[in-house]
Amino acid sequence: MTLQDGTPWDGTGLPPAAQARIDRARKSHVRSSLLSVGGHVGIESCGFIPVAEVMGCIVEYIGFQGYGGCGYYGQMGGMGYGGGYGGGGYGGAYGGQAPVVTSGSGSGWSGFAPYVNALYHGWDTALDRMASEARQLGADGVVGISLTEKHLGAGNREFLAMGTAVRSSGHTHVNTPFTTTLDGQDVAKLVHSGWMPAAVAVGISVGIRHDDYQTRMSQSAFAANMEVVGFTQLVTAVRADARHQLERRTARVGADGAILDTPVSLAIHEMEVAEGHRDHIAESSAVASTLVRFHRQDTLPPVPGMVIMLSGPGTSARRRGSR
Amino acid sequence: MSDQDQATLGIPEDAMRRLAEMRPGSPGALFTSDLTVNEFLLVREAGFRPLGLVLGSSIYHVGLQVGRWSQNMELDKLSQAMYHARELAMTRMEAEADALGADGIVGVRLDIEFKEFGNDLAEFVAVGTAVKADAPGTWRNDENKPFTSDLSGQDFWTLIQAGYAPLGMVMGSCVYHIAHQRGFSALSNVGKNVEIPQFTEALYDARELAMSRMQAEAEELHAEGIVGVQLLALPHRWGGHTTEFFAIGTAVRPLRADHTIATPQLVLPLTDR
Repeated sequence: MTLQDGTPWDGTGLPPAAQARIDRARKSHVRSSLLSVGGHVGIESCGFIPVAEVMGCIVEYIGFQGYGGCGYYGQMGGMGYGGGYGGGGYGGAYGGQAPVVTSGSGSGWSGFAPYVNALYHGWDTALDRMASEARQLGADGVVGISLTEKHLGAGNREFLAMGTAVRSSGHTHVNTPFTTTLDGQDVAKLVHSGWMPAAVAVGISVGIRHDDYQTRMSQSAFAANMEVVGFTQLVTAVRADARHQLERRTARVGADGAILDTPVSLAIHEMEVAEGHRDHIAESSAVASTLVRFHRQDTLPPVPGMVIMLSGPGTSARRRGSR
Repeated sequence: MSDQDQATLGIPEDAMRRLAEMRPGSPGALFTSDLTVNEFLLVREAGFRPLGLVLGSSIYHVGLQVGRWSQNMELDKLSQAMYHARELAMTRMEAEADALGADGIVGVRLDIEFKEFGNDLAEFVAVGTAVKADAPGTWRNDENKPFTSDLSGQDFWTLIQAGYAPLGMVMGSCVYHIAHQRGFSALSNVGKNVEIPQFTEALYDARELAMSRMQAEAEELHAEGIVGVQLLALPHRWGGHTTEFFAIGTAVRPLRADHTIATPQLVLPLTDR
């Protein structure tokens, strides 16, 4: 689809098809929503009216990962290869131990920072386009957002955000719609307790660590019980960096806190960086809904009572799997 | 809820005004948590403030030990590995919470994931939410470490209501090799429905070892009891005859003499589940 004057869409604003749908929705009196009945009732109970389902998406080609060396050789006083990029690594290169280089440590080239920035760009753009639809519909926020990532092959990746735009029934409106991954019921419980969702925040980190003598030896099938210190350092540093990035982005929004959507993810794999030598790379991400507190009272308004449900799986539901 | 009630709660006016007032802050003043909304609100209601998501991890090479083919026996080297690695993960998580000045850690999950690369590499990871009590009081345990609890936010709230406080997570592990049957005895059972006493005994022994180790940990903490105990048989990667028996629970202490709670209300929900 092309713009009205026949030129192809250049990536600014909304794609023509989305713009056309939003323009039509603005004129229409029909309201649409992705919320369940419970979610709908919940969101209305705290003074918000669903306006329409909104979506934002971007397909990105991620061609350059930005491998800048593992930060080992430069710090070991060797050839100077790679190490210069990976300053500020974790663990230090003393005694033959390799440092961990994360995307958040040091320069814009360290530890796959271009790759991580591409991921941020993907999520930010998808969320921005979704928020832009919501703004054009006069909404104050988007609830129940689902974030999905799809590998389309050949280095192409789709980032998709979908949710339900809602509008406050009061007099105060905001220019930047709030966004949250929480569903209508959860938003209602929070608002009634004096908390308001602010924005979706994502923290991502990728780190690399050179496989040194210790990590190689302890992987032998005949090695005794022992901690593989190098790998522990790698995953610890990468998870810590992902959480730190999440906190930074939460603070940038101006929120008081963040509730994680899913557990902090972690994937670790080998990469053959040179003939016969492998390093290990870990990737971690954390997605959260940030919150701000607005209630004036010291204590929370509703005090929960104890109930026994006369249906369902009963007390066996106490396991965290079914909370 | 009537419009009147909404107005007294400031919904949605105050909420919207607060959103409009948001300004970038500095990290550190804010909390992070992987509690659900229900759990978050209940933990707040119980008088605790989440401080941050805390995490401890250890990637561990679990050594090699082979049980004798025809003998029931504990594989103590493997038991030790499972203990040591979990301990490392838990201690690191507690250290993070300590650095935040926390009184305790709630909603702890202790997971093991065997890795696809390397030989017998597993990651042991402990994750939870560090919390601090609103009112001053002694919540830390005898060793002045933050308490830990693997109870959900709902169970944590109920526990506090009932006048108990968590002391710490206690666990017991036993990796056990269950003997293979000798050809002769296997042959004599063909076509019969019989108990294999040797197998029964092996499972008993292994579970008893795991549970008594957990109990010993609770005694060390001067606990009154252990709640939410899970007794798991984890096959991991050692084949059919080698299993880890793992007991884990939250040791508790009484907060007051009586433990009566408000009579629960009966509710018949209109949903399917």
